[in-house]
Amino acid sequence: MFSILIKKELIAILQNPKFITTFAVSSFLIILSVLIGINEYKNNLAQYDTGISLAKSKIEESRSWHSINAIAYRKPDPMQIFVSGVNNDIGRFSNVSRQGEVKLQNSSYSDDPVFAIFRNIDFAFIMTIVLSLFAIMFTYNAVNGEKEDGTLRLLFSNSISRAEFIASKVVGAWLGLVVPLLIPISISFLLIISFDINFRFFDWSRVLTLAFVSITYFTFFIIFGILVSSITKSSSTSFLLLLTFWIITVFIIPRVGVIAAGQIIRIPSHAEIESQLDAFSKDSWKNYTTQLSKTWNERRLQMEGMSESEKAMYEDDNSWGWMQTDDKLRKINEENITDYSRKLFEGYKNNRIELRKLALTLSRFSPASAYQLAAMNMASTDIALKVRYEDAIQLYKEKILSHASQKAETDGDSFGLRISMDSEKGISVEGGRDQNMLDTSELPQFAEPSYTFAQIFEPTIIDISILFILSIACFGLSVYRFSKFDLR
Amino acid sequence: MLKLLIEKELKEIIGSPKFIMMFAISSILILLTFYVGGINYKKNIAQHEAAKLENLRSMEGIKDWRLIEHNIYLPPSILASLVNGISNDIGRNVDMYGRGEIRPHGSVYNENPVYAAFRFLDLTFLFQIVLSLFSILFTYNAVNGEKESGTLRLVFSNSIPRGKYILGKILGSYAALSIPLIIPFLLGCLVLSVLGIQLKGSEWFRLALIINAGILFMGVFITLSVFISSVSRRSANSFLLLLVIWIFVILVIPRAAVLISGRFIDVPPIDELNNKKNAYNRELAETVLNKLKTFKADGNEDLFAQFEKYMEEVNDDKDEKMNSFGSKLDEERKNRQNVQSDLSLTLARISPAAQFSLASSIIAGTSLTLSQEFLSQAKNYQNVFKTFQQEKSGGSSGGGMKMIMVNEGDEPPDIDPTELPEFVYKEANLDSIIVASLGDFGLLIIYTFIFFAGAYMAFRRFDLR
Repeated sequence: MFSILIKKELIAILQNPKFITTFAVSSFLIILSVLIGINEYKNNLAQYDTGISLAKSKIEESRSWHSINAIAYRKPDPMQIFVSGVNNDIGRFSNVSRQGEVKLQNSSYSDDPVFAIFRNIDFAFIMTIVLSLFAIMFTYNAVNGEKEDGTLRLLFSNSISRAEFIASKVVGAWLGLVVPLLIPISISFLLIISFDINFRFFDWSRVLTLAFVSITYFTFFIIFGILVSSITKSSSTSFLLLLTFWIITVFIIPRVGVIAAGQIIRIPSHAEIESQLDAFSKDSWKNYTTQLSKTWNERRLQMEGMSESEKAMYEDDNSWGWMQTDDKLRKINEENITDYSRKLFEGYKNNRIELRKLALTLSRFSPASAYQLAAMNMASTDIALKVRYEDAIQLYKEKILSHASQKAETDGDSFGLRISMDSEKGISVEGGRDQNMLDTSELPQFAEPSYTFAQIFEPTIIDISILFILSIACFGLSVYRFSKFDLR
Repeated sequence: MLKLLIEKELKEIIGSPKFIMMFAISSILILLTFYVGGINYKKNIAQHEAAKLENLRSMEGIKDWRLIEHNIYLPPSILASLVNGISNDIGRNVDMYGRGEIRPHGSVYNENPVYAAFRFLDLTFLFQIVLSLFSILFTYNAVNGEKESGTLRLVFSNSIPRGKYILGKILGSYAALSIPLIIPFLLGCLVLSVLGIQLKGSEWFRLALIINAGILFMGVFITLSVFISSVSRRSANSFLLLLVIWIFVILVIPRAAVLISGRFIDVPPIDELNNKKNAYNRELAETVLNKLKTFKADGNEDLFAQFEKYMEEVNDDKDEKMNSFGSKLDEERKNRQNVQSDLSLTLARISPAAQFSLASSIIAGTSLTLSQEFLSQAKNYQNVFKTFQQEKSGGSSGGGMKMIMVNEGDEPPDIDPTELPEFVYKEANLDSIIVASLGDFGLLIIYTFIFFAGAYMAFRRFDLR
């Protein structure tokens, strides 16, 4: 009997004119989004390659190990084709130098704001908004609609348990709606292969998990539709309720959750933090200059009364030591600034992490948020992407600077520009070492943050669990409610 | 008769249980949008003021204006908090030097990606997603629904022209859906006042224009729904069709138009430009060095001052060349970007949602021109700042090293940071805003008339039985 019920439900869905329209629309949208995603990914890759050559030339132009300048670029991830997440919102690269702090800058949207106006269309977006709406459209009258048509009493003239009826509704709707969806999803995978996108086994695992999470999310809306349909008497009421729920879960809760978190945890703006650092840095350099000028005066006083030849000899004897002292002073000052900067940005980062945690906790009340977060995690285009990259770049900075310091010690360093003033010879300018003289071939290369599938999957467990628990709870509640449903 | 028809429609909508629910939801969302916009604005203002203060504090104790490199910020605006546009996507800070290339950085979404993932609640979102959907929900069965319930024949047992009937349907629905919304909108304005946010007269006017654009946009959906309802026989079909149209108009066409057509126009990536600028800068730096090496003092008198002046001239020359090279590249990119945005936005304007979104962002001052305008005003300010630095200390910051000689016991006093010329971002004037948004207003009106005409034509052939 159960299989007959499923068959009946399946036929009802497949023969419904709504089905053709919604199937055509969702297939078209999924394929279109993947094609757009492929195009965007290829553009991002081309831009990344240009950036890498810029970074290379920047390194090559360095004249001194002390003032080495590098740029670390964020590598596009092929999974952005399916879930763009915050990929276009966060910076694409960070400058890496002794003075500046690591900070991803120049997001795609800030460089080309025309694409920010309406934002992106991707697979996750279609699932979150369009397919959840379609799921509601097919299930809002699953139970009360049958009552309105008078077929419910007819059905229960046979010996069917109420739980069996609800289960068949869920399974039938699931088969009728999810299985056809696999067609455009499979075509999308074929597009990935035919457009020669570098999808490794790791990426295929991620995309298949994404498909699984998407289906779970879709299933939740199918079951929720059946639940509301078994709670309400008229199908028009259930549709209204479902539409309201859909607007609230898909559009309102995620936004309100994040905004509420922003109000609870107040963090200073980045501009404010930068200005604080700037103020400290300027104070430090001012103290350094005062101290340096005091030291130079002391040295000058020591040479007072010496003849020119004695002075020259004295300078020759002491210049190396003086240079080392001055350099030590400069390094201490730089370290102080770096230390202050690290503490300042660490605090800022911790605040942001707190904000993120709270925002995600609040927005997870919505299954749509749970799905979006899971999808972004699987695609590694999630909210923490920026922090992960900045941490990796910070590590790279430490490596590259330590390498530069070692090189300066072993090979000797040069200055960028030296201006000497002599009462006899006047002013003379030297340009340090010639261009391309630094052997930068051994400089450490930036390694993008890498993760295993388990590392990516771990934070997703909570969101998948939320979707599963909600689906099971809705199913249980549907069975319970329908046991009390007035069939007349 | 028309009055009667309008009244009937009005009563029918307002008397339906759907209306209470939808009105309650819309009212809550409108008030929430104003509240969230208001508190965000206040938070942004506090951050903006704190950043400005820190900026001034960082100049304390400095003795020479040539050492000043400071920051300027795009100020928050209440209308930008209510209609976000691209205001959170673009850089809002500029590191300011007397010379050298400046570029805005630090977008809200880059700083806090958590906001980028779910975005903010604003009026554009409210009208585009929620109120347009509600408009459909109340009017999808305006004509065929009456036929299904048998009231259509009853109505036409009186002598009513079909045109008047359609007009009555549209005007009645329009009035029933838009007039009640005025109450939450007015309450929303009150929320702003309660939060202590004072809007200028022009800002109130612009806010009213945005709400008008939104109501006009709802009108497009109301007439479209009546049109579809008179084309299709069954209300279930018209609802399905309208939902598909809604998905395309709101979610697909604007995005796909920009993403697809935008890529037809080849805009050189910013990194490519940076590559070229970098190479040229390297070349110029070499020239500067060679020039400095050839410095010959004119006698021993005031040697340092002579060198300082010479270095300033050499750096100015380098800056001029770099600026002209950079400006040419930037100009080319900007022109390509303009062609790209013209093409993609023209195509996106097929959708009334894009028309409304663009109109509201133009009025709120958060449209595509915001980033170009901020950069252009920042560049103008750079000239003011450079002149100020030169007047104060004979040189400017940025674009090379500085040599400042301080004789012992003859230290100059600290600079007074409050003397620094203030950067004031000037928004476009009301006239130009109105002119710029007229096209989109016009398109919304045209769409409304087209759908009205369509509904009228379709209903003339409608089988009343």
